[in-house]
Amino acid sequence: MSRSRRTAALGFALMGLGLAVASHPRVASWITEALGEPARRPLSVERLLDLAWKHLALAGTGLTLVAVLGIGLGILITRRFAEPWRPMIDGLAAAAQAVPPVVVVALALPILGFGGPPTLLALVAYGIMPVLRGTAGAIAGVAPEVREAGRAIGLTRLQILTRIELPLAAPDIVETLRTALVLAIATAAVGALAGASTLGTPIVSGLQNQNTVAMLQGTAATAALAFLADAALLAGVGGWRAIRP
Amino acid sequence: MTAGTSGSALRTVGIGRVLALLVGTAWLGALALALTWLPVLTIARNRLALGDPRTGSEALGATGALVLAMSALAIALVVSRNRAAAALATLLLLLAILAFGQGLGAGAVRSLAGLPPAARASLGSGSWLGLFLLAGALSLAVRRSRKPGFGLAIGLGLGLALVVLGWSGAFDALSLAVEYAARRETVNAALAEHLALAGAALILAGFLAVGLSLLPQGLVALVLGGIQVVPAVALLGGMVAVMSGLLRAVPILRDLGLSALGPVPAIVAIAAYLALPLWRGLTLALRAPDDDTLQAAEALGLSRGQVLARVRLPIGAPILIGAVRVAAVQGLGLATLGALVGAGGLGRIVFDGMAQFAPDLILLGAIPVVVLSLLTERGLSRVEAAARRRWHA
Repeated sequence: MSRSRRTAALGFALMGLGLAVASHPRVASWITEALGEPARRPLSVERLLDLAWKHLALAGTGLTLVAVLGIGLGILITRRFAEPWRPMIDGLAAAAQAVPPVVVVALALPILGFGGPPTLLALVAYGIMPVLRGTAGAIAGVAPEVREAGRAIGLTRLQILTRIELPLAAPDIVETLRTALVLAIATAAVGALAGASTLGTPIVSGLQNQNTVAMLQGTAATAALAFLADAALLAGVGGWRAIRP
Repeated sequence: MTAGTSGSALRTVGIGRVLALLVGTAWLGALALALTWLPVLTIARNRLALGDPRTGSEALGATGALVLAMSALAIALVVSRNRAAAALATLLLLLAILAFGQGLGAGAVRSLAGLPPAARASLGSGSWLGLFLLAGALSLAVRRSRKPGFGLAIGLGLGLALVVLGWSGAFDALSLAVEYAARRETVNAALAEHLALAGAALILAGFLAVGLSLLPQGLVALVLGGIQVVPAVALLGGMVAVMSGLLRAVPILRDLGLSALGPVPAIVAIAAYLALPLWRGLTLALRAPDDDTLQAAEALGLSRGQVLARVRLPIGAPILIGAVRVAAVQGLGLATLGALVGAGGLGRIVFDGMAQFAPDLILLGAIPVVVLSLLTERGLSRVEAAARRRWHA
């Protein structure tokens, strides 16, 4: 498991670096010409970095909100008093998943206007339910005997949560957070349709203006960001596990 | 120990009871807010102008009070946790939703009276919140009634009643209906394109999954997992670039009707995402029967093909159907993005609406996407459950 994880992290990091190189104006122009398209007006490195920074800021804000709300609510609904509400919350989660992020962005547009806010709303609305479900599933998956043992040695409910349930559920929770991270970066790219300035912007405008170079740069840079972020999360978790097995 | 457990159980029941009452009260309060204070309709000079809000007390009149009364009774019945009461609550909520819809249509007619024909009455935040709350309570009541098949019957009944109301012209004054009437053909064509896009991608991904199941698993998992990481917008853009390069290198493809923009790159990109859930479902489904079962089948003298058809696939069927459900819902959502590369579908209407900043046009594209996804989700999870009962009883 951990070896395949390390291979995946390394593979994703290399893939991300390769794609980042491909998004460089000179390399992208070269690829475009190799594809037989005229290479017009590539994006400068500064513009690309600026967009990448804004993309990361938007996705990061969304992911933080999703993580705090999703894990918090996930812990809440696994408490005993919330048991009767589980089916309803699961139903709500399934319903929320049926609304694709593009549609949330589109629906939020008339209310929140152009730019970042509709994208952020879509990020939170679409990301929160998988994290909530994943957290609840991970905590519910902790063996009841372990919990019982904790109660037997006199731990309080809070101590059982923080010392037994959460540490044991952590790997699965991190796995859901990885999904949420990938979703956040993808949704931030979709946000370009609502006028948020992210790495999706050159893709959307490139498709509209037939500017293949800009489109290719946006494509490579967005994918690079996703791969690098995922690799960083994988590597970070791996390091943390090595310290605290 | 025993005393402690029963004490905490008692306390849990108490908290549960109080929580149910609190949630019920909050629900009713939010509904009252939506129906009286928030704008249920906005009346604008034309389809793009900003409108004047009309609250529920102005636009709905007595219907609002009726809806609220029925809902209050229904939520009290749901909170009581009695199965028969929940069934009664379901019917009350169904009537409340229909009355609300009819009231909105009638309110729109009244509000538009005397205004020029370009004036529009769109649904406001109060309407959406109200409908969301009523629908949520309806699904809870159906669940609480615990009658098999009741949910399906109620869903069909609600859909049918809404269609009949729409047919009779009850919603004709609402902006959404006006917008639909003006673009009936476009919307219907987009719906067909959307289904074709998602369906073609699902079939292609299915073939892909079968082919990939013959390759080493670790490699396939890494590649398909890697594709999931790539944002859909980027994959679509990349696909267009690759397609245009391919068409230039092999011009015969162009004569076959392929082009860099259009449905083909969209279908390929969507299928690339759907391949992971399908492949994972297929490998899990084929591994589902345990060794004893397989040995028994062998002892009976079944050939490998027979083992696949009579043992592996039936036992793995629920897993397989679950994978198809996940992939189908994902495909319907991703097909919305296909419009970005000129593949058509409901996304085109959504993007047109975004470009014009016309909320009703966005809704006209978005509502079918959501309804299709929800129907697919519910429908296939029913099939999945039926398969589980059929083969795992």
